[in-house]
Amino acid sequence: MSGLDARLLDAHARDDRAALVTLYQEAADAASDQDAEGFYLTHAYVFALELGHPDMQMLHQRLKRAGREE
Amino acid sequence: MTAPLTNLSAVRRPVSEAQGLPNPHYIDSQMFNEEKHAVLFSSWSGLAVTADVPEIGDAVPMTFLGMPLLVIRDKSGTLRVFQNTCRHRGMILVEEPRKIEGAIRCPYHSWCYSTEGRLVSTPHVGGPGQNTHESIDRNLLGLIEVRSHIWRDVIWINIDGTALPFEDVNADLIARWAEFDKPLFHGGSDSVFQLEVKCNWKLAVENYCESYHLPWVHPGLNSYSRLEDHYHIEKQDSYSGQGTLVYRQLKGAEGQVFADFEDVGEKWNEAAEYISVYPNVLLGVHRDHAFAIVLVPESTERTVENIHLYYATPQTDDAMRAANTEQWKLVFEEDIFVVEGMQKGRHSPNFDGGRFSAVMDSPTHSFHAWVAGKIESYRATAQAAE
Repeated sequence: MSGLDARLLDAHARDDRAALVTLYQEAADAASDQDAEGFYLTHAYVFALELGHPDMQMLHQRLKRAGREE
Repeated sequence: MTAPLTNLSAVRRPVSEAQGLPNPHYIDSQMFNEEKHAVLFSSWSGLAVTADVPEIGDAVPMTFLGMPLLVIRDKSGTLRVFQNTCRHRGMILVEEPRKIEGAIRCPYHSWCYSTEGRLVSTPHVGGPGQNTHESIDRNLLGLIEVRSHIWRDVIWINIDGTALPFEDVNADLIARWAEFDKPLFHGGSDSVFQLEVKCNWKLAVENYCESYHLPWVHPGLNSYSRLEDHYHIEKQDSYSGQGTLVYRQLKGAEGQVFADFEDVGEKWNEAAEYISVYPNVLLGVHRDHAFAIVLVPESTERTVENIHLYYATPQTDDAMRAANTEQWKLVFEEDIFVVEGMQKGRHSPNFDGGRFSAVMDSPTHSFHAWVAGKIESYRATAQAAE
C-alpha cells in the first residue's frame, strides 16, 4: 500500500473530510490516466461540495473542462 | 363500493343533537390511516417550530405520520421542508440533526443536494469519474419539497398540496390575533418541553378546546379564573377554543412582570385566548407571553406534545421564565390523566361517541364536526374515483 493510500484510509477512518478533499486531489494529480484522474477528482469535489470547501469551484471547473461534470 | 369504516352522520348535527366521533377514530389503526390522509395530509398541519432550526444550514430530520422529513434553513435563511429521501435509491439523507456546511450528501452513493433542494452532483452516474449521463436530468431530480408556511413561529405543512393557501384558511384567526402579530422570541432551552401521552392526537385537541373541565381538572386556576370568566371561541371549519377575562401576569420576586407585546392594546390587559388550530396545533396568547403546542400523532393511541414558550423581548428574567415554564408544565400535566382516561374509555364497545353539553362543549363539537366533514369529503372523493 502506498503512503497516499494509507493516508486516504486514515482520513476516511477519522471521517476527516477536509483532509479527503486534499488527499483525493493529490491522488488525481498523481493518476496515471485520465479516467483515474476523473475518479479521484470526483471524490475530492464531492467532499468539497459537502463541506462548502474553498476548493469546490476549482474542482468543479476542472471536472467540467474534462467533460465529467455539468 | 367499499363501505365506510364509520358512520359520521350524527357528528355533524347541531351540538344539542350530535354524537361525538365513533370509537374507531380513536382506537382503530385503519381509521388512523384514513384520518392521516383525510385530515392531516390535506390540511395545514403543524410540524415543528422555526426555533428548532435557528441558523443557516441547520438540518433536523423529523418523522411525521411515518413520513421522513427534513427541516432545513437554506443558505439564504429560508426555512424549507423536504422529504428526507434521496432521489436515487430512496436512502434517508440525514439521520441526526446537524449543520449542513455545503451540500447534503447522500451517504449511499454520494448524490449531493443544495440546501435549496437542487441536485448538484451525481458522482460516477455515467461510469467511474463520469458524473453526468443523458438520462439524468438534475433539474427534474431535486429533493421533493413539502408545501410549508410559517406563522407564529410554527412550521405548518400541507403534505398533499391540496389545501387553500394558509392565509386564506386561517384568515379569520390571523385577523383575530392581529394585535399579536409581533416578533416572537423563543425563551430558549428552559422554555421547551415535551410530553408523551398515551392517547389519540384528537383527544389532546378536544381537551384543549374547552373550559368546561377547568374547575375540576385544574382547581388551582379556580382562585382567579373561574368557569364564568371564560368564553367560547369558534370558527367553523378552522379553529375553536376558549378565552379568559381574568388573566393575571406572573410576577417576579420584586413584583416585576414580563414585557408586553408592543402596542398589544388594553383589551388584552386581563384577557388571554387558547385556540386549537385545526388539525393539530394548540396556541395560547397573553399580553406578555405566548405558547405553541405542536401535537405529533405517533400512532393511533400515542401522541407527543412539543411545547414552546415565547416572549415579547429577546431577553427575559431567567427565574421568571423558568417559573412560567413550570407553571404551564403543571397545567398541561394535569390534563394527562384526562386524555389518557378518555383513550381507555374509547375501548368500551357500546360507547357511542358521547353526548355534548349544548352549552359548554360547542368548541369541542366544532372540532368533531370539522374532522367528520374532512373524512366525509375524503370518502366522497375516493368513492367518485371508484
